Amino acid sequence: MNEHSNTINQEDLPGDFAIWIFIFAEMLAFGVLFVAYAFTRAQNIELFNASQLTLSRTSGAINTLVLITSSYFVVRGVESIKRGLNQQCAHWLTGAFLLGGVFVGIKMVEFQAKFAADITMSTNNFYMFYLSLTFFHFMHVLMGMVILAVIIMKAKHGGYSAHDYVGVETGASFWHMVDFLWIILFPLVYIIR
Amino acid sequence: MNNTKAQSNLFFTVIWLVLAVLTIMTFSLGEAGVAGKGVMLTLLAITMIKSQLVANYFMGLRRTKFLWRAIMFGYFAIVGGLITVAYLMGLK
Repeated sequence: MNEHSNTINQEDLPGDFAIWIFIFAEMLAFGVLFVAYAFTRAQNIELFNASQLTLSRTSGAINTLVLITSSYFVVRGVESIKRGLNQQCAHWLTGAFLLGGVFVGIKMVEFQAKFAADITMSTNNFYMFYLSLTFFHFMHVLMGMVILAVIIMKAKHGGYSAHDYVGVETGASFWHMVDFLWIILFPLVYIIR
Repeated sequence: MNNTKAQSNLFFTVIWLVLAVLTIMTFSLGEAGVAGKGVMLTLLAITMIKSQLVANYFMGLRRTKFLWRAIMFGYFAIVGGLITVAYLMGLK
């Protein structure tokens, strides 16, 4: 593939189109779960409200700020590579990767607290949705971190240029999807009552 | 060139700050323990603004064909609309 074929057409979606098929499929899957959560809650409001109070809103809010900031770092990484600055791109993406690690750490503490309290998916419908939605999202964060790590390594070796950065935009699009979904998940599961 | 770069970086920084402020507003409403139709609609409106800021500016969809922006907005309109219907059912 030559450099010209990797150059972005501004009218098209950023990155490889294949990632967008995946992104839309993932959004659909999460969308179904979000709506299912809301309608199940409508049948069990007292149970959902009482169970929701056991969640740490502070952890959820910190994780939202962490993901938003990591997405911002990814944007700066993409802007850097558009100017052909591989090392600067790698630095911004490393910042995003580390924040992904912070998210994973906070989430694991949250999961640990629930498991220590003998809370599982079988406890009640709220926890079934809470654990499945947040764990499903957690796995996407891990996948996003793997993608970022691969891009960081390639950027450190000068693998991209101002004319060839489709790979960076592809990974960036996936990471922003992870942020986009958490932005809906956080108020839905942790806040709205 | 450098001015354009600086303006672009400043613009993305402002978007990030707006997202952070909206997140703190969401958290504050949760901490206040308030509930009801108005609060629910406010929280959903904040969520819609945040999701569209991420889609249009961080994902970069503002530069793409209308179709892609419409899909992202339509996604939130449908999912957010159904969540609203479910919550209104619960308020009865």
